[in-house]
Amino acid sequence: MIVSTENLSKSYGSLCALKDCNVAVGSGEIFGLLGPNGAGKTTLLRTLLGFIKPTSGRAFVAGLDCHLESVQVRQNTSYLPGEARLFRRMKGHSVLEFFARLRGDCNRTKCFEIAERLQLDCRRQVSRMSTGMRQKLALSMVLAIDCPLVILDEPTANLDPSARAEVLDLVLEARSSGRTVIFSSHVLSEIESTCDRVVIMRHGQIAHEQSIATLRKCHRIYAQLNGPRCQIPANLSDTICVVKESASEIVLESTDSLTLVLDWLSNLQLSELKIEPVGLSAVYDHFHREDNRHGTNTSLFHSASSPQQGS
Amino acid sequence: MWSTTIWRKTWGDQALLGLAFAVLWAAFPWLYIGLSAQIEMNAFQDVLLRAIPEDWQKMSGVPFSEVATHVGRVALAFVDPVVVLTATVWGVTRGSDAVSGQLERGTLEMILAQPIRRRTLYSTQALATICGGLCLCTILYASVFTAIQFGPWAGKVDPIRFLPPALNVFGLMVCMSGLAAGVSACDSYRWRTIGILCAFYITSLLTKLVGRLSEALSWTGYLSVFNAYEPQRLVGGEWSDWQLLLQYNGILCGIGITSYVIGGYIFSKRDLPAPL
Repeated sequence: MIVSTENLSKSYGSLCALKDCNVAVGSGEIFGLLGPNGAGKTTLLRTLLGFIKPTSGRAFVAGLDCHLESVQVRQNTSYLPGEARLFRRMKGHSVLEFFARLRGDCNRTKCFEIAERLQLDCRRQVSRMSTGMRQKLALSMVLAIDCPLVILDEPTANLDPSARAEVLDLVLEARSSGRTVIFSSHVLSEIESTCDRVVIMRHGQIAHEQSIATLRKCHRIYAQLNGPRCQIPANLSDTICVVKESASEIVLESTDSLTLVLDWLSNLQLSELKIEPVGLSAVYDHFHREDNRHGTNTSLFHSASSPQQGS
Repeated sequence: MWSTTIWRKTWGDQALLGLAFAVLWAAFPWLYIGLSAQIEMNAFQDVLLRAIPEDWQKMSGVPFSEVATHVGRVALAFVDPVVVLTATVWGVTRGSDAVSGQLERGTLEMILAQPIRRRTLYSTQALATICGGLCLCTILYASVFTAIQFGPWAGKVDPIRFLPPALNVFGLMVCMSGLAAGVSACDSYRWRTIGILCAFYITSLLTKLVGRLSEALSWTGYLSVFNAYEPQRLVGGEWSDWQLLLQYNGILCGIGITSYVIGGYIFSKRDLPAPL
């Protein structure tokens, strides 16, 4: 594991920003962090970088203690803050030169290559750049650093659609080159299309952990029954659960391949059948929508323990 | 404890302010001496020794008879608001930028996300600020020197006498920048850091005045850092002036360096809030 936390907590007086957070990120994966504002995502990332001293618990990056060995941790890490603020009086290329000088592992040529890919004019002064341009400038620097861990806090915020797509490509390229990426975002579609695994945070805690590969196998099945109530066969009982059931309607969730499920459904007397993939949006809503608190029987396919694991 | 990249960047950051102050301090002694020379010494002595009540001598820190000389008149340039305020503004602006200034602008996060120790960042910036102050004082002294050598009072005053006052100005700069950096290290808003330092400056000035004017409250003078900033007392051209300078700058630099060190310790331990 390149990143691991052990019961990591951070409190500001009575406010608990992070509570008993246990996260493990494996080498070479893209790990997503989801949650509403104030859920603790940025606090978790800032604790990993040693900006914040944990109230209790520990965090490690590449086996190094994030609080006690923060310089070595940052040597192994490249970080894009949620709102990248750069030196306003410098020109874009001077900013890239500055960071390239500050750390030896920042590839100057690659910086300018990425800036070009993102269609950024580096000759412009930072104070005359738009928010999106400043974000591109920071991304050019962060993604050019040759280190094992890349932490991106909302990297696509303020970017135009083509730049967003380019950034996601760069993230995937980072994984291809063996680097680990921690990716915090509010854009669920981006997380779903790029990440291997995602955690959903809520009130400073890990509310749910979800493998995207598993999520892609999950489907919700809506069926109108013509005949008698159906009984789930024993061979499907592990992979199917009933979400909602009435005399004429049943809503099921499948967590595995649909082949066997479709076989079973074909033998039932149904007037209508609708099958749709369970997207990350549904999982996220389950944990964060006010009218859909977790623990209710509208659960997708997981039990209501916390943190829940959808592996 | 040292980063060349940060050193260069800090010089870049302070270049504009430094250049403006350098021009001001290069021009000021010429203007001051040139304008002072237009008032004849006899007329000046008449005003100073006869028109101003003797009690007011307490305010000047030195007897009026010493002020009413060429040396005394040049020495007053070092307590002129142009010099005192510029030295203070340099210290406060550069010192306050060390932590809270960069936190407020949000640039500290990007720098500290790189493998650089907080101590290194802080100490490199502190050194650049102090060296900048030293450069400005050198310019001030060089300007005083040339204004005396080639100005209207050429041959009447020994310019070497003004080296201790120039060094006393440097002591004031170290003191104010250290205090500002110390407050900045604990704070997250630069405007508040500057506000605290302004309050400190005014309080120091007032306590010194009260201490001078009232015998019963003379002890308040010891609470003021300006008690150790008296360049007009350092122009005697004797060994004792250097000893006094050592005392003054010992106090000023001592306060400044101690504040730098405490600030550095706090900065290395504190949580860094997300950009505001």
